Amino acid sequence: MPTVLAELIGVEARSRRYLGLHVLSKFLLPLSISLSLIYARDPLRALALVAVSLAACAAAGVPLSALRKYLAVLMSMSAFIVLAFSLFTQIPGRVLFEWTLLRVQAERGVFEWKLSLTDAGLSYAAAFILRILAMVLSATLLLATISDRDLVWGLLSLRIPFGACVAASLFFRGVHMFASDFYTIREAMMARGVDFERTPLARRFLLYANALIPLLSLMVTRSYEVSLALESRGLSPTSRTASGYYRFKLGRADYAVIAASAALLASFAAWGWFA
Amino acid sequence: MSAVEVRGLWWRYVGRDDYALKGVDLRVERGELLAIMGHSGSGKTTLALAMTGIIPQRVPGEFRGSVTVLGRDTRVVDASEIARGVAIVFEDPEVQFVMSTVEDELVLALEPLELGREEIRERLEWSLELVGLDKSFLGRSPLQLSGGEKQRVAIAAALARRPQILILDEPTSDLDPLGKEEVLTAIRRLRDELDLTVVLIEHESEFVAELADRVVVLSGGRVAAEGSPAEVFSRVEEVKRHGVHPPDVAELSARLGLSSVVRFEEAVSALGDALSGLDARGRAPAPPEGGGVVLECRGVEHVYPGGIRALRGVSLALREGTLVALVGPNGGGKTTLAKVMSGLLRPTGGEVLVLGRRIEEYDRLTLSSTVGYVYQNPVHQIFNKSVYEEVAFGLRLRRLPEAEVRERVKRALELFGLSGLENEHPFFLSKGEKRRLALAAVHVLDPKVLIVDEPTTGQDMRFNEQLFELLKGLAREGRTVVVITHAIPLAAKYADRMVVLKDGRVIADGPPREVLLSPAAREGRLTLPQVTRLALELKLPFAPLSVDEVVGALAGSRR
Repeated sequence: MPTVLAELIGVEARSRRYLGLHVLSKFLLPLSISLSLIYARDPLRALALVAVSLAACAAAGVPLSALRKYLAVLMSMSAFIVLAFSLFTQIPGRVLFEWTLLRVQAERGVFEWKLSLTDAGLSYAAAFILRILAMVLSATLLLATISDRDLVWGLLSLRIPFGACVAASLFFRGVHMFASDFYTIREAMMARGVDFERTPLARRFLLYANALIPLLSLMVTRSYEVSLALESRGLSPTSRTASGYYRFKLGRADYAVIAASAALLASFAAWGWFA
Repeated sequence: MSAVEVRGLWWRYVGRDDYALKGVDLRVERGELLAIMGHSGSGKTTLALAMTGIIPQRVPGEFRGSVTVLGRDTRVVDASEIARGVAIVFEDPEVQFVMSTVEDELVLALEPLELGREEIRERLEWSLELVGLDKSFLGRSPLQLSGGEKQRVAIAAALARRPQILILDEPTSDLDPLGKEEVLTAIRRLRDELDLTVVLIEHESEFVAELADRVVVLSGGRVAAEGSPAEVFSRVEEVKRHGVHPPDVAELSARLGLSSVVRFEEAVSALGDALSGLDARGRAPAPPEGGGVVLECRGVEHVYPGGIRALRGVSLALREGTLVALVGPNGGGKTTLAKVMSGLLRPTGGEVLVLGRRIEEYDRLTLSSTVGYVYQNPVHQIFNKSVYEEVAFGLRLRRLPEAEVRERVKRALELFGLSGLENEHPFFLSKGEKRRLALAAVHVLDPKVLIVDEPTTGQDMRFNEQLFELLKGLAREGRTVVVITHAIPLAAKYADRMVVLKDGRVIADGPPREVLLSPAAREGRLTLPQVTRLALELKLPFAPLSVDEVVGALAGSRR
């Protein structure tokens, strides 16, 4: 059963045991990691959460090599975050490095724009980067372990309305189609002579804005066609469904994962509370 | 009681001025196979949706008249209730797949019926078997199946609900010849083995003549002709005016002044005598070889990042002034080759020469002015706010003076029949107009090579004939035109050269007659034009490629 990430980029968790868990367990674990982020405001707790996320991914058999692309994006984001903290915020703390970029002497006083690197600023930046990393890992864990079947029949077994279950499944398929259409349209522009590598940024932005015309057109058409296909099978958001073809039951492993998720959230909440 | 009864049906989509259906009266009897034909935009799909209750219940618009399905009025009974007795399969199977495995897709279709686990399992296997698939397909992703398999899964999902009426909306239009044959075999089996009422919307009259009990031709939202296939297709010129091309044998018998035949088997006995005088000297002259080489592929290979080897040492030289049909089964590498030739994909081996220079030496602007590529789905390449802007886009990118832009856009719009639509937003054009706009936007750049990817998909025969005439005209002006197509009869009639690609290799290359009569045609699963098959069956002195050629040859031999 291909997972959402397998359909999007061909990456799938390898642990059959984890993939066989109830959808509730597979939802709760990444959710508890994401919620714990609220309490992980310093680098140490954020790092601990990254470690937990990594351990969860490893337990589920998510091929971490597939995360290389994310990590590359995260590295460039990290540099941006550190720069933003240094250039645009004055976080009080022990100054490690300081450089005045601009100094304006006026009648009413002096305006100074300083690049100020403090220990607190660095700590904030590090916590921020680690929290993003934990978020990326938990999202990967979720997408690499849930499938259409989980989304539709698993959620239905939790008495979530049919419309919401199918919409969740179609959302991920829609993302895939949207991305695929976008690349085709970009290619079609190249076929007419557009050289994106040599096009100035502003012009490139306009071209991408133009791409929205066919993208929206395709989205409208596809949504219409999918809704017709569903309606013609007698399926509507309010449909009653009770075939029980797939039986989703919580097993011991599920209870263990659910308990671990709750414990994780509780411990981070307590750690945050008492810190 | 009829399965479906349509009385004085008028339907107008919200926001449209014109009615899509204008007073349609129609009965579909239980157990019959009714074919609905007509030009693109004639109202076929709208009528099908009205038979499911989706129109008027889920689609906004103005509805007059009545539709009764299995005794239920579609204005009164909810569409989900009607869906228990009526199933519909749409043209594009991919769009209707919601789930990621065949099993889930079929189970989803059965969800509203609230069946037990065992019964669902039984129905899955029964429906798959009925369309010629087995249990091994249950775990597979529908998106990874071939075109014919996808459409058969869609039919199985419809059949699993055991409907009394099955509506098939152009189930073969997106398929290669093999896929078409697979789906037709499945439909034949449904007709023969189940007590099922089938409404088949189809452009290919040869299939209709073989399968249908009755034919209805829609034109401009009205019933233009109705009767048995023999009755309808014998009115050759009349149905042609409505965008329906009768089977070759029907047209041939009409043009020879013989009593009408519409089925191949009948034609073998009925037309034998009349065709016995066919003389090989009367066949159409061999197509021109063309001028100098404009584009050449030398041992081209292409491997996609996932490791799929799409092209395996393709060598091909395209000459100016020729119309080349690139044919073969889906997944054979046709689109990959087209993209390699237009510089959108880099060959991973071998080389491509454009006007004698390696393709890598060209910048994007110059290359796209030399080799134009028109996408299969025109929506992918229409990204401006008006028809005029769309055609002018490429010219402005090349910084041509505005006066020249105006002049060239005007000429292109005239050539492709889009004059008067300059200020229209492309979003609101019909499918055929969008297709012509996509062609105009590339043609206006005056490329030496024009590659058109599957332009005939989902279009009626009248449009397709006009399109091929136009492309032939461009070739006669000296351009090299490459058309990727599954429409073998059209390719046979218009192309100067046919290249068959299978599994990334060129398995045949030459004049259409030579290629179609070679063993490669069978290997490439090409369906010969009906008139060619007839000549082969009758062992005539030569195999004509079109009805025109037979009539011309007979006239010549009488002189």
